[in-house]
Amino acid sequence: MPKRNLRKYLQVLKTTFQEYFVYRVNFIMWRVRSIIRLLAVYFLWLAIFRRNQELFGYNQQLILTYVLGTSVVRALTLASRSVDVGGEIASGALSNYLLKPVNYFFYWFSRDITDKLFNSGFVLVEVSLIIWLLKPPLFLQTNPFYLLTFLVAILLAMILYFFLSFLVSMTTFWSVEHGGWPARFLFMVILNFLAGGLFPLDVLPRPVFTFFRALPSTYLLFFPLQVYLGRLSYVAVFGGFGIMILWLLVLNFLVKIVWQKGLRVYEAYGH
Amino acid sequence: MSIIEVKNLKKYYQVHKKEPGLVGSLKSLVKREYRDVKAVDNISFSIGEGELVGFIGPNGAGKTTTLKCLSGLLYPTGGKVSVLGYTPWERKPEFQKQFALVMGQKNQLWWDLPAMESFILNKEIYEVPDKKYKKTLGELVRLLDVKDILKVQVRKLSLGQRMKCELIAALLHSPKILFLDEPTIGLDVVMQKKMRDFIKDYNRKYHSTIILTSHYMGDVQELCERVIIIDRGKIVFDGALAEIVEKYADHKIISVVFAKEVDPKKLAEIGKVKDYDFPTATFSIKREMASVAAAQLLQKFPIADLNIEETSIEDIIREVFTGKDHA
Repeated sequence: MPKRNLRKYLQVLKTTFQEYFVYRVNFIMWRVRSIIRLLAVYFLWLAIFRRNQELFGYNQQLILTYVLGTSVVRALTLASRSVDVGGEIASGALSNYLLKPVNYFFYWFSRDITDKLFNSGFVLVEVSLIIWLLKPPLFLQTNPFYLLTFLVAILLAMILYFFLSFLVSMTTFWSVEHGGWPARFLFMVILNFLAGGLFPLDVLPRPVFTFFRALPSTYLLFFPLQVYLGRLSYVAVFGGFGIMILWLLVLNFLVKIVWQKGLRVYEAYGH
Repeated sequence: MSIIEVKNLKKYYQVHKKEPGLVGSLKSLVKREYRDVKAVDNISFSIGEGELVGFIGPNGAGKTTTLKCLSGLLYPTGGKVSVLGYTPWERKPEFQKQFALVMGQKNQLWWDLPAMESFILNKEIYEVPDKKYKKTLGELVRLLDVKDILKVQVRKLSLGQRMKCELIAALLHSPKILFLDEPTIGLDVVMQKKMRDFIKDYNRKYHSTIILTSHYMGDVQELCERVIIIDRGKIVFDGALAEIVEKYADHKIISVVFAKEVDPKKLAEIGKVKDYDFPTATFSIKREMASVAAAQLLQKFPIADLNIEETSIEDIIREVFTGKDHA
């Protein structure tokens, strides 16, 4: 991207940043919701491991690290503002961008980055507090290979989620009801399960897990954490990257096609 | 030299028909019947540089649809459009940097932030150099007198203040062409006047080409030398404004509120009664007779209130389209 363009999207990021100071109550409520979800899953697993030393190939230390880890990774990969895209399509606000020399995708990705920065800032404080108060046994990865590939996995997952989320938003081109929120809500609930937000996916029966491994959702939370926990061989890590990149190519193509088709039916609703 | 060229432009929408009731809803789930709505039906015109053209017509006539085609928001069903030599719906950045569309009923400003933030963002999006940005912003702020509100959250501004800021946001990149869709809608008379003055000055000073749609005769009368009247997707008049006012708006509307009940038969002596429903009545009176008729009314009847108005733009358009229908 040329330097001038970079300035555009940096400004989008900055402006969004300011918006978050206005929305602070809203944002704090969102964080409270996240903490409650985290604590619920945390205590559930704590209870399960009170009776068992080891279950599904996890011990208490690994599972608690997984639970706290999903909270952090979630703030990086799943946190987004672009959930509002559906609303903009439905209300016709999309027109504002179609008139300007601005790329709608980069625009929203920049806004997403702001959201990720805010959420991860908060989540770090929250998780530190939980660690300080509850003193859970945690697994610290020291192998540089896993730490590095963990970061790469998160980066790829961000883009992967962006594409998936954009596809869901774009259904609003065809069904404007409630700004696309019915589809969005269903997507969020299913995704949380499919991504491994409730439990690590490898506790599922073998055939189911094998199927899940082919899905893009698996790579949003579960896969990065598997990398961090060092539960995958080097080869398996690169295998995972391979599947991610394949999905990225497929989704990138799909997003482009659907966007083109969507714009054709977009009749600038809402006047 | 024309910089906007429209040839045989057509835009048809498909709307699905649904029979009333639950059964109708169920039917439409299985089989949807579509029907074409011809929002814009084969129109052609061209506009030269620096012109200020009024685009008028009743609701749903196709004004906004035309503007949307010109600014690249809509793919037309047929026809050719060239604006500054570009095909609008290809949405080339070089084209987008040269025009702006302002819709009175829509906003581009960030609702929760002061307008200033939206200006800064637009500066970067349109790649306006720092120096030029400062100069343009300074001028616009002075012309529109909004210095004090730039740091106030947009949601807290009045409609008039917000419209001014919308205009600034749209003009920061000094567009050569400006599309204004109902720029004065909902504004009070003082603000309408200010807006008109600004548009006029802007057109004169920067020699920018402006197309304006409006419901208000005032806007068009004061601003545009040339008007294009569009009704049901077709152009029914394209020419000098003076011509149309002389030709069609030759009547004024007098509306009165009576203090006491009056004999409706006597009202006919004043002029053509359009409507009588005690305590109100409206008359359609020839322009030059309007003051005489008003005086007569005041003399002969117990009047609580009296108003003389221009024939509404919709009425004029209807006449242009359907022919004269009043005496």
